[in-house]
Amino acid sequence: MTLPIAAQPSILLENVCLTLAGPAGPVNILTNIDLAVAPAQSLGLVGPSGSGKSSLLMLIAGLERATSGRVVVAGQDFAGLSEDALARFRRDHLGIVFQAFHLMASMTALENVAIPLELAGRPESLGEARRQLERVGLGARIDHYPGQLSGGEQQRVALARAFAMRPQILLADEPTGNLDQQNGRLIMDLLFELQREAGSSLLLITHDPALAERCNRVVKLQDGRLAASEPVAVA
Amino acid sequence: MTGLAFRLALRGVRGGRSGWFTIIACLALGVAAIAASLSLDQSLRRALSDDARSLLGGDAELRLTYRPFTDDELAFFRLYGDLSQSAEMRVMARSGPRQTLTEIKTVDQAYPLFGAVDLAPALPLQSVLAKQDGKWGAVAEQELLDRLDLKTGDEITVGDATLILKAVILREPDRAGANFSLGPRLLVAPGALTASGLVQPGSLVHYLVLERLAPGRQIDPFKQALAERFDPQPWLFRDSRDATPSLKRLLDRTTLFLTLVGLTSLLVGGIGIADGASAFVDQRMADIARLKCLGADNGLILASIALQFAALAAIGIALGLAFGAAAPFAVIAWLGDRLPVAVHLAVEGTALAKSAAFGLLACMTFAATPLARAAAVPGGQLLREKMAPPNLPFGWARFALVAGSAFCLAALTVAISADHRLAVWFVVGGAASFGLFALAGKMVVSLARSLGRRLATRHLSLRLALSSLYRPGAPTEGVVLSLGLGLSLLVGLSLVEVTLGREIDDQIPAKAPSFFFIDIQADQAEQFDRLARDAGADQITRAVMIRGRITRIKDVPVAKAKVAEDANWAVKGDRGLTVAAQPPADANIVAGAWWPADYDGPPLVSLDANIAKGFGVGIGDSITVDVLGREITAKVASLRRIDWASLGMNFTFVLSPNALAGAPVSDIATVHAPGDKLAAVERAVSDGLPSLSVIRIADALAQLRRVVDGIGLAIRAAALVALLAGALVLAAAISAGQRRRIKEAVLLKVLGAARADLLRAVLWEFLILGLASGVAAAFIGCAIAYAVLTFVLKLDAVLLPWPVLATLGGGITLVAACGLLGTFRALEARPAPYLRGE
Repeated sequence: MTLPIAAQPSILLENVCLTLAGPAGPVNILTNIDLAVAPAQSLGLVGPSGSGKSSLLMLIAGLERATSGRVVVAGQDFAGLSEDALARFRRDHLGIVFQAFHLMASMTALENVAIPLELAGRPESLGEARRQLERVGLGARIDHYPGQLSGGEQQRVALARAFAMRPQILLADEPTGNLDQQNGRLIMDLLFELQREAGSSLLLITHDPALAERCNRVVKLQDGRLAASEPVAVA
Repeated sequence: MTGLAFRLALRGVRGGRSGWFTIIACLALGVAAIAASLSLDQSLRRALSDDARSLLGGDAELRLTYRPFTDDELAFFRLYGDLSQSAEMRVMARSGPRQTLTEIKTVDQAYPLFGAVDLAPALPLQSVLAKQDGKWGAVAEQELLDRLDLKTGDEITVGDATLILKAVILREPDRAGANFSLGPRLLVAPGALTASGLVQPGSLVHYLVLERLAPGRQIDPFKQALAERFDPQPWLFRDSRDATPSLKRLLDRTTLFLTLVGLTSLLVGGIGIADGASAFVDQRMADIARLKCLGADNGLILASIALQFAALAAIGIALGLAFGAAAPFAVIAWLGDRLPVAVHLAVEGTALAKSAAFGLLACMTFAATPLARAAAVPGGQLLREKMAPPNLPFGWARFALVAGSAFCLAALTVAISADHRLAVWFVVGGAASFGLFALAGKMVVSLARSLGRRLATRHLSLRLALSSLYRPGAPTEGVVLSLGLGLSLLVGLSLVEVTLGREIDDQIPAKAPSFFFIDIQADQAEQFDRLARDAGADQITRAVMIRGRITRIKDVPVAKAKVAEDANWAVKGDRGLTVAAQPPADANIVAGAWWPADYDGPPLVSLDANIAKGFGVGIGDSITVDVLGREITAKVASLRRIDWASLGMNFTFVLSPNALAGAPVSDIATVHAPGDKLAAVERAVSDGLPSLSVIRIADALAQLRRVVDGIGLAIRAAALVALLAGALVLAAAISAGQRRRIKEAVLLKVLGAARADLLRAVLWEFLILGLASGVAAAFIGCAIAYAVLTFVLKLDAVLLPWPVLATLGGGITLVAACGLLGTFRALEARPAPYLRGE
């Protein structure tokens, strides 16, 4: 089901539950989550380890399927979408940044950034990837493999890759978790700058309250439930 | 220190199983192939040696052609032991309208001196051969009964004699010691051959005396006594130490081929051993760095890693030896009664020791470098996020170990081979192929890199595939090398087999005559020509022939002359000699000149150029032949290049017209006839001249084709072992890259790739890998085939595309199928669990 454009939040979760099978039986990861994120809005998602933050991000990315409830992202209801349809959806609407960078070890920085463009069949994808890498300050390291880059540089490549398609929504899962303070600050500056330029909505998972404060809104997840949530102003 | 290394090694075994399977499987396969071949060889060789007297028929055999032994000669032989006499010739056996060439042999009351003739029904040999009610008895191989559509109790005629087939020969003890046979065996009493009337002056009859030395008598003194009493000796002498020269030659060649194929498997598997050792070290890199941080030195690390590897290698070698030791039992059971000797199987210790040495040397050659990397892991590596393989600086000690092991591997290959020259060529060819495939692997990587970066965006799957081929640490070079070696062997051997088959099926029949007729007496020649021509023969070529034995080359006795191995056959027994005033119609004289048609001077000879080369003789040198006890010395007047494959009337030795004056020669003839006249020609000549023997070329070629087909099957099966080793390396590479593939597949899915995109990328990757290996293998396989056809089989090498394309297609399909099967799990991987795990 597709909502009318005017009424669309970028991310809309209604009464979403997620239960996973664990070795000792089913585990409730998320319970009755209601959440809406407006276009171009940034949302900080905080909470202790194991509270379900990453699982929530995976639900929104279509990498995990809700046990019940409704997930609508960029106006697309995920119900009934196949794996391949979800992959195409991510390609066209989402950018994701991980704590562990998740770059393709077998590809150079340039090739890593070009991948989403190439998947979308964009002409001049390598040229665009080169521009993105220059934008994040890695113009001189385009032919380096991930193993030859520092952590900060790898995360900058990941940022360039996430923004290569100018995504409607950016999902970031503790993007500075593996970086020192200085590199972390640089990456976050870059992330917010790129988000503003692209006009993307941002869902930022972080343990750092100071980082969360830089977002338009902050919500807290506790034991799989939203503990504190402000009203959403839908644009 | 040693104890600590041992303890660390024991604990290190728990550090993961990466590379274990590859190391063990590759070693086991290569060692098993070599051990099987060498064990089988040793078992058969021992059986031939144990049964030597039975296979020869005596302690010694003396063979004369054309004339029987004299009483004086026989009396001398009897001084040394018991004798059995026999005579052999090729004759036609007839039954009603059917006839077939048969190898008749007379046996006396003493036959056999060793072993026993098994008959069905089981009857005493001499009594069934005796004359009863005016008819002689006979026993024959089943094939003769099949060809003439007979059963025991039926009659056949041989010349003027009528024989009753009393039994079928199941086993003739000394048959395996004989040379290539053109017809089934027929055993008769001496009187039956006499009654046939086929033994005429000039008839090609071999007379044999088999000697069983009296107790206490030895072969060498007997041989010495013969040499002193009879000089020159008119006969060919063999003793039980050389009872089965043709079987031993066959065994030599078969073992050489199988051992070389086993070695190829071990070389191909060597890549797997190196890959396995790398994976083994990579998995322990963090532990090694930790140990270094805690104060372990390089020597301790290396000793611990080497001990762990040695344990795996020992398992691989032991498994290989177990399979190899068991193989002869399976092969002998499968061959059953087809073997001419009873093989008493045992575990062949020497063969297994040699095979283990090959395995050990292969380990040292291929695993030394990857294992040395363990010592090069810096302790500081632990502080880094990723454990990148360390760069290994050049080290003389390691170089000496690898080069020394490789040299020992090559030296052992040459040392254990029956044909050292061929083994040296194999080593050189193997090293060259190894280098060429390594180069091909590097070219594939380089081309993939260059193409991948130029490729347009819409070819994403192809670009993903290419990047998998050139990424750092990609197994491309090893896979191209190992698969390519296996495939090239298959391409080369298939080409040789198909070319041989084509030669037998198409090329030879196109130019070969339809029949050979032998034993045409001088007074029958005209009648023979007329009968054949009237029945429809369109080309008849006749030449006089007599058997003679080369006794001297350049006046040096043959025993002392230097004769090349490939010309040795010419001095081993009787050769056909002819005389001619004119050169043969298709003669290709490459040196000297033919004598004038009216030449009447001292004997001259025209020689086959290859034999002349093997003898080391040229124009003007002398060759001496013994014909019926008379020595004829002829000067070499010309050399001819002979096309033996034409199966036409070709003689190695053609003498000037007067050289054989007075000798009891007979004629030999070749006859060409159209397909629809063949039966008529054979029937007309056989009816008109029943004493002649006829050899149907089609029958001989069919027999040859059966042999080639059988060998071809064995060759392909052997080559598949090498290909299996290549497949093992590919499987190991896929398995080693599995974690990386799953990660990449997950990330690509996260970034929006559909499964079809990933499937296409994998398919492209393995198609390119298969195609690259296949194309390189096609070139090198063609080179192998060219070398074997031209230099070993002396045939015209023609590039036949089908065997190459079929092998290529098969190889590509195999690689693509292995690739898809091996990466299926990666394609199916779901992102969420993986990302959660990270």
